[in-house]
Amino acid sequence: MALPKRIIKETERLMAEPVPGITAVPHEENLRYFDVTVDGPSQSPYEGGTFKLELFLPDDYPMTPPKVRFLTKIYHPNIDRLGRICLDVLKSNWSPALQIRTILLSIQALLGAPNPDDPLANDVAQRWKEDQNAAIQTAREWTAQYAKV
Amino acid sequence: MSDNGVVLGLEGRVGLSAHEDARALVRLIQCSQCSRPLRTPVTLPCGHSVCRDCLPQPHQRENISYPDTPDRQTGVRCPVRLCEQEHPVGEVNVDVTLAKIMELVCTMVDKARTNAELCPTLVTELLAKDDLLSEKESETEKMDEGRSNTFYGGRLLSTFTMAELGELDFRADVRYESLSDNEDQYRQLDLELLEEIRETTQKELDCQICYNAMLDPVTTSCGHTFCRRCLTRVLDHSSYCPACRRSLPIPPSLSQQQSNERIKSLLNNLCPETIAARAEAVALEESSGIGELNVSLFVCTLSFPQMPTFLHIFEPRYRLMIRRAAESNRQFGMLMYNRSRTSQGDLGVTDYCMYGTMLHIQHLQMLPDGRSIIETRGLHRFKVLETGMRDGYIVGRIERVEDVSLAEEERLEAEEIRVHTQPPDSPMEPESNESSNGNGRSNNNRPDVDSLTTRQLLERAMDFIVEMRGNSAPWLHQRILDAYGEPPTDPANFPYWFASVLPIADEQKYLLLTTTSVRQRLKIVVGWIRRLEDQRW
Repeated sequence: MALPKRIIKETERLMAEPVPGITAVPHEENLRYFDVTVDGPSQSPYEGGTFKLELFLPDDYPMTPPKVRFLTKIYHPNIDRLGRICLDVLKSNWSPALQIRTILLSIQALLGAPNPDDPLANDVAQRWKEDQNAAIQTAREWTAQYAKV
Repeated sequence: MSDNGVVLGLEGRVGLSAHEDARALVRLIQCSQCSRPLRTPVTLPCGHSVCRDCLPQPHQRENISYPDTPDRQTGVRCPVRLCEQEHPVGEVNVDVTLAKIMELVCTMVDKARTNAELCPTLVTELLAKDDLLSEKESETEKMDEGRSNTFYGGRLLSTFTMAELGELDFRADVRYESLSDNEDQYRQLDLELLEEIRETTQKELDCQICYNAMLDPVTTSCGHTFCRRCLTRVLDHSSYCPACRRSLPIPPSLSQQQSNERIKSLLNNLCPETIAARAEAVALEESSGIGELNVSLFVCTLSFPQMPTFLHIFEPRYRLMIRRAAESNRQFGMLMYNRSRTSQGDLGVTDYCMYGTMLHIQHLQMLPDGRSIIETRGLHRFKVLETGMRDGYIVGRIERVEDVSLAEEERLEAEEIRVHTQPPDSPMEPESNESSNGNGRSNNNRPDVDSLTTRQLLERAMDFIVEMRGNSAPWLHQRILDAYGEPPTDPANFPYWFASVLPIADEQKYLLLTTTSVRQRLKIVVGWIRRLEDQRW
């Protein structure tokens, strides 16, 4: 099946006007599959880290959201051990007017604002609530250990 | 494509040209009411656009009880001569795309004014005879000269300025006289201005879903515009506007939604080649799917939208069908047996009844021997158009069955209530044969169902449920409520729930699948209740 115009245009625009701190490059053999990197936002425990993700555009994109997963290990209450992300715009709040660019910005924003009240990784969320400083310290250590290029 | 009897631009592969068609180009963005360039444009449900200030004051609407949301209680009478319908205020919102385009056009025009001093143009308004019948004649010389003034700039800019000053009637034509010798310079200015407008507005005319120039644009009640095809597909997945997430109370096929005539004209005249090419590509794509028997049909039981249906799949052909469904979109159509062997429209006498419900497989439990137990939920109703066989089960081509638009729903209610409340001094008791449900011992002081508001019909049914629960009716046992849930408060879905739990014949319940309005369904429900009450003593 030919690649829809929308995906071609989105890819072109991502290349032409990249978002600072974010890269997304499609695979040559599968233009629906992107290698993504997101820089940890400043003033967050992920600062200084560059996180790898994979992004896949399903057949009925943009009617259904892209599938996104962290490949780099990360200590975050809304991201589980498999790299799955708990983010409303990737699920029930998806809208076809959103795009790869806005989704990746939302993920970057999620790194800057962890939400332990809506956890995906229960153990991390609990620690985050009980001893936030210690949790943030662990997040920093993981960033230094796994997310430095 | 016309607005107040005046054709807006051309349709086809050739657009309007900057110099020769300057008058027609300006008309594309002129309000048909005040004749000025559109200011804060709203696109009405009839597909016409006018300035917000050109709308009349809202008035209270009468005899409407459903959906009865605050934004539908008041309405405005459409000022466009070809429409003149009452539009609910909730469906009258600023057209976001058109507003943005007007903003860009005004910016470009202001910019063009800075180097227009050398090109004065005398523009004279040519008024058409003021009735639509003589439209043909008015094209010839039977035009009266109207206002006349000198403006600076090419034809495009001077015509725009004239409209801006309110000196150019929407329907009028114009005559130009260049007051400087350099004809080429005028032409050049026109070309440059149109090109700049074309470039800057192009992005706004792209659909936010497919990223193409909008094909057959439709505008939501919240003022956002998309290709008709794109919005239809969105509505298969969600009932919220993709741009602002407001709920969209429109039947998902959009068949009753009018196209946005202004945006359509702008597209047809600013980028005709793109639109024509796109229309061709889409037509080709769609034609390949026509006539395909692409829906699996299971003849088994009566199912309703939103309601669960539990099935035990044991026949090999249906095992295959369910397995195929599970591997694709998890959907199949459910049809009821035609026990009474009645004719099904064009299909003739078939084993199944022609109206059914699309089901979505929620849970599938495969048993070791290949049988399966599935839990499904009804998606929407459909009508069978044509069928064939595939590996032992029926496949068919179907058409979605939808309710009429909310505006039509309101009109139906208002009309029925009006008829039944006049003459005001008629006797309170309806004639006994008027109520089709009043056989047997009818209560004489019971009003005709047609005279009840949609809201009252729902309340009647809700009261009945409360009463029956008080009597511990076995069909309202907790076990049943666990499966079907509490009665939905949405009047559109309540009848489906009621039919799912009520112990009456399926042939009667089947009638709900054929309805096209919420009111019609609730009237059927109240009819059942009355019959049940008549049977009691």
